[in-house]
Amino acid sequence: MAFVPMSVPVPDEAPVSLWRDAWSRLLRNRLAVAGLVMVLVLVFAAAFGPMLTPYDFLSQNLEARNLAPSLSHWFGTDDLGRDVFSRVLYGTRTALIVAVVVTAIAVAIGVALGAVAGFFGGLVDRTIMWFTDMTMSVPNLLLVVVINASLKTPLSQWMEARYLVTLNPFYRETIWVDFLLVFGSMALISWPPYARLVRAQVLTIRSRPYVTAARALGLTNRIILIRYVVPNALGPLIVAVSAGLGSAMVLESAFSFLGVGVNPPTPSWGNMISDGLRVWQHYPHLLAAPAAVLGLATVAFSFLGDGLNDALNPRGSK
Amino acid sequence: MSERLLDVTDLSIEIETRSGPATIVAGIDLHVDKGETLGIVGESGCGKSLTMLSLLRLLPNKIRVAGGRAEFQGRDLLKLSRRELRQVRGGRIGFVFQDPMTSLNPVMKIGAQLSEPLIYHRDMSRADAWKRSGELLRLVGIPGAEERLHSYPHELSGGMRQRVMIAAGLACEPELLIADEPTTALDVTIQAQIVDLVKELRKRLGMSVVWITHDLALIAGLADRICVLYAGTVVEDAPVDQLFATPGHPYTRGLLASIPRVSGSTMARLSSIGGTPPEPGRRPSGCAFAPRCPLAQEVCRQNAPALQPMQGSSNAHRVACHFAGRLMSEAA
Amino acid sequence: MGAQPLIRVEKLQKHFPIRLGAFGERAVTVHALDDATFDIAEGETLSLVGESGCGKSTTGFAILNLHRPTAGRVVYQGRDIATLDEKAMRPIRRDLQIVFQDPYSTLNPRMTVGDAVGEPILFHGLCKRSELPHRIERLLADVGLPPRFAQRYPHELSGGQRQRVAIARALACQPKFIVCDEAISALDVSIQAQIINLLLDLQEKYGLTYLFIAHDLAVVRHISTRVGVMYLGRLAELGTRDQLFGEPLHPYTKALMSAVPEADPVAERNRHRQILEGDVPSPLNPPPGCRFHTRCPIAMAECRTIVPEWRDRGEGHFVACHAVPA
Repeated sequence: MAFVPMSVPVPDEAPVSLWRDAWSRLLRNRLAVAGLVMVLVLVFAAAFGPMLTPYDFLSQNLEARNLAPSLSHWFGTDDLGRDVFSRVLYGTRTALIVAVVVTAIAVAIGVALGAVAGFFGGLVDRTIMWFTDMTMSVPNLLLVVVINASLKTPLSQWMEARYLVTLNPFYRETIWVDFLLVFGSMALISWPPYARLVRAQVLTIRSRPYVTAARALGLTNRIILIRYVVPNALGPLIVAVSAGLGSAMVLESAFSFLGVGVNPPTPSWGNMISDGLRVWQHYPHLLAAPAAVLGLATVAFSFLGDGLNDALNPRGSK
Repeated sequence: MSERLLDVTDLSIEIETRSGPATIVAGIDLHVDKGETLGIVGESGCGKSLTMLSLLRLLPNKIRVAGGRAEFQGRDLLKLSRRELRQVRGGRIGFVFQDPMTSLNPVMKIGAQLSEPLIYHRDMSRADAWKRSGELLRLVGIPGAEERLHSYPHELSGGMRQRVMIAAGLACEPELLIADEPTTALDVTIQAQIVDLVKELRKRLGMSVVWITHDLALIAGLADRICVLYAGTVVEDAPVDQLFATPGHPYTRGLLASIPRVSGSTMARLSSIGGTPPEPGRRPSGCAFAPRCPLAQEVCRQNAPALQPMQGSSNAHRVACHFAGRLMSEAA
Repeated sequence: MGAQPLIRVEKLQKHFPIRLGAFGERAVTVHALDDATFDIAEGETLSLVGESGCGKSTTGFAILNLHRPTAGRVVYQGRDIATLDEKAMRPIRRDLQIVFQDPYSTLNPRMTVGDAVGEPILFHGLCKRSELPHRIERLLADVGLPPRFAQRYPHELSGGQRQRVAIARALACQPKFIVCDEAISALDVSIQAQIINLLLDLQEKYGLTYLFIAHDLAVVRHISTRVGVMYLGRLAELGTRDQLFGEPLHPYTKALMSAVPEADPVAERNRHRQILEGDVPSPLNPPPGCRFHTRCPIAMAECRTIVPEWRDRGEGHFVACHAVPA
């Protein structure tokens, strides 16, 4: 039988990297693009918003209290006559800063612990995972309330004392105490899911044939970690971070609402909702404006997270 | 003249993609006679499993039948009501899947899984169904059949599980047993056991069998007739002896030539088919095999050849190739 | 066969401890490989066949020290490499390579083909950075891929193309010895032949030695110099291809050969098949004596208690069976 092997015909397409491929898949997903646009708007609002409004978020105008939304005050004014739109915009900045910083700290702790646990296994793994499960099993709000209640006053007093001794203006701004406690306690309850995710990723990737193949080539553990394990673990982590940013914003609002978060007069969606709730029967816009923006922000991050998930796992979406 | 049991004509299957529907099975014609074993041979992605799944409307999400008929005992399977379809599934047509690991419910005893279709299709009482299940396990050669009814799937070996799957497929004495690569996940000595079992059961029960596989050697000793699929079309349909002795389609010839022979000279290079099969849903126009075919002419890239009786051969040997006749005369 | 084998395997053993039960309270041992002794001659293709769980892949991994053997020696260039640690092993890994079964998971999905093939070259310092593209191009040509493939990612390739890349990567550090661990088993029939031909071409061109691990006896017969048959962690028989396929001595080898179907309907119809009863026992608790005795058609009393000796029955035809006369 004359069956001559021929040269392999190969379609001549431009090579696409996985990341670029994922990016184009993301852009084809309408919900994800909507989420992405909303997130970009939030970032823009947080960065430049306060400069664009004619009102200062702190300046009170007792002549114009509790005004309904109008052309001059888009979201109306509150009981001290402050422009609600400006406050919501500034609240965006608070929310984003808290979300980004908290998520960054949580991811750093989670990735470090998760990777170490997954890579070394054995006793190290068991200890870290025990600690992780312990942290997860403590009720979140309780932990935060306890930390805030027990540390806030002593820290603020310490700051005041330092200010009186040193006259360093840094110590006068008790807002740092706020931030430290809010960031710290939120990060403390947010890292375990990242640790578990990264550990699971490292565990599965470590047993993938391409890692064995790399070992067979004689490559060192360091190269294998950096070039094989980490890049392949990144996808799910990006998805988790996107979703995590959204929940961090909700968390911040929840804490502020309960009075253990950012303190007035610094505007935060949570404390605005808390204030608005008291008078919502008379002035519904005071509740509606921050609540709606918070809702939109959460939805935006969850759309983006879902979209990223599909984009980075092409097989899962088919 | 033998009696038709299943007659599939011009069956097409589509998959929904982001850029619209794509054809993965393009106008398949095949039939199964009463008491016959039909081998369906093809490489991964050729649509061999989907074709059979579509008959019982078991296609996965986003994949659907786009046209054609599938007459089983004179009725179009594709037009049955849900109730009629349930009667056929498991009742008249039994199905054995590739992976016995995942096709058995892990939290149900073997006996309960076998009883279910009997209670449903044959109106048996639970006790009768259980008894019959024991007989079925004995039929498929499981030692200690009655005790095994109380086992869970994970307590059985792979070969035993596949026997249970076959018993489940046979439970209601179907006229047709469709086996989708039932031995691919098994070792050769176990494969030999299963092949032997199916051959014997067919003789004893007089049913028809459709055996889907990628392994030409395996099907050689098993089938009466073979359909070779390539990229969602039947390229050749012939009685087993004729297919191996005088293959008509260049793809079939290539496949046969690429199998190392016991009698062949060793260390010699095997003849191989260049290139790779098209991905499902990305069939080239004209003859789907043309891009890999050493005989391809302009006409092959333009027109898809129809499945026609091969010149100088019996009517039972049909080939879809513009040059099937030429090929034969060259080989002669 | 030359006087000096490339690799000498002596009494190689690999046991995996595993923990069972909800709290891992039951420690048991998987007897994956026991007492394997054989030579691999330079330039030959030695195949290991057997059913799943017979230890053929474990043998390949243990020889390369990818799984540290629990006992025995692997002598390469006069050195026992079975006990070397990862660091001491590194320079030797250049010579001893492996190609895996599943072409879909043996390549890092985040690395281009060029990077994957170039990495071992750079790592082992085998050429200057400026010569690297040329070197990669030559390796791709060796495995029948055009140079533009260097920019592609694994997910853009078919199974056969990926396996070509995996082979190019194994070739990159100019090895002497390659373990092909079921390297063609996952491929489609028409692609298998392409890869077999490629392996044969490369062996001829570079004088490679293969340890070919497979379960497809037709393929094994086609490409092997010698063949070893394994059952449940032990070697049952080993000999030249003609010895093994022409006059198999071990009852398991005979049954295995008889179970393999042949692509010839007429021969198949007239063939008498010897079908083994039952299943392979668990490697957690292998039977005493000869491990095959539970399924052996000719098992005798001594087979149940005494492990048969692994012995040369003439002309390098090794068998472990009490029923085979010395």
